[in-house]
Amino acid sequence: MSDDGSWPPEWMRAALPLCVLAVVAAEETYGYAVAQRLHAAGLGTVKGGTLYPVLNRLEQEGLLRSAWREGAGGPGRKFYTVTEQGSAALAERTAAWHTFAERAGRLLPSLEAQR
Amino acid sequence: MSTALSTYRRDLILALRMREVPGDRIGEIVAEVESHVADTGEDPLDAFGPARDYAAGFAGGRRSRWGWHELLVAVASGVGGYLVAVGLLGLVGGTPAGPLPSWAALLLGVAIGVPTIGHVRRRSSVIRDPRTGQEMLPVPRWVPWAVAGTLAAPLVVGVAVVALSS
Repeated sequence: MSDDGSWPPEWMRAALPLCVLAVVAAEETYGYAVAQRLHAAGLGTVKGGTLYPVLNRLEQEGLLRSAWREGAGGPGRKFYTVTEQGSAALAERTAAWHTFAERAGRLLPSLEAQR
Repeated sequence: MSTALSTYRRDLILALRMREVPGDRIGEIVAEVESHVADTGEDPLDAFGPARDYAAGFAGGRRSRWGWHELLVAVASGVGGYLVAVGLLGLVGGTPAGPLPSWAALLLGVAIGVPTIGHVRRRSSVIRDPRTGQEMLPVPRWVPWAVAGTLAAPLVVGVAVVALSS
């Protein structure tokens, strides 16, 4: 496990879309709040340059929808909500991810065997 | 707006323009950067990387494909412009514009041309801030006049030549 919360970039590339979809599905939210939620979950710091293209792709796929709202004294924020299609995709991809992680995990040596 | 953000915004718009990303998408992308930087207080270069690299992740050129809409606009522009030119030349030279009287050709040309210009202007790739609806890079007031003058110059010269020679 990474102590400083940084993970190999290829792992993050694979997991990020599903994790972002899960965060937005939990509640309507905006970009910076998604980054904070990912950080709090132990996935490390996700930069804006990585996060927003993922959000945009999910929106283009029809899994998210967005709307700009005025902020209190700020320049306004783009809020994301999950669509019906997004909820269905989240359920399907989550099941597939768990199966994948379980099979990959079975292939790897156990932590006890390494000690 | 800080100098760093102002510079980044300018570079990002330029890089996205170079990739032929539509204006409404550019507005969204730039607004996302500004909103994120306002929330985090980060330097945009740290948060998003070099503007050119960030822009490279966005596909462009979606409006370059020609369809029925573009064909109709091109035909309407051509027919409208032709009728205006023929009508004007006919009025100045005193000759009818084919089967139509010159004034009718001129009126018909204006009736076709003006809505077409308005339609193209509305659909043009202006970069608008999705938060305010305002243009992100407002064009100076003299620019439309300069463009109109440049386009009208050959017509004015043609009318003048016909008027002088008749």
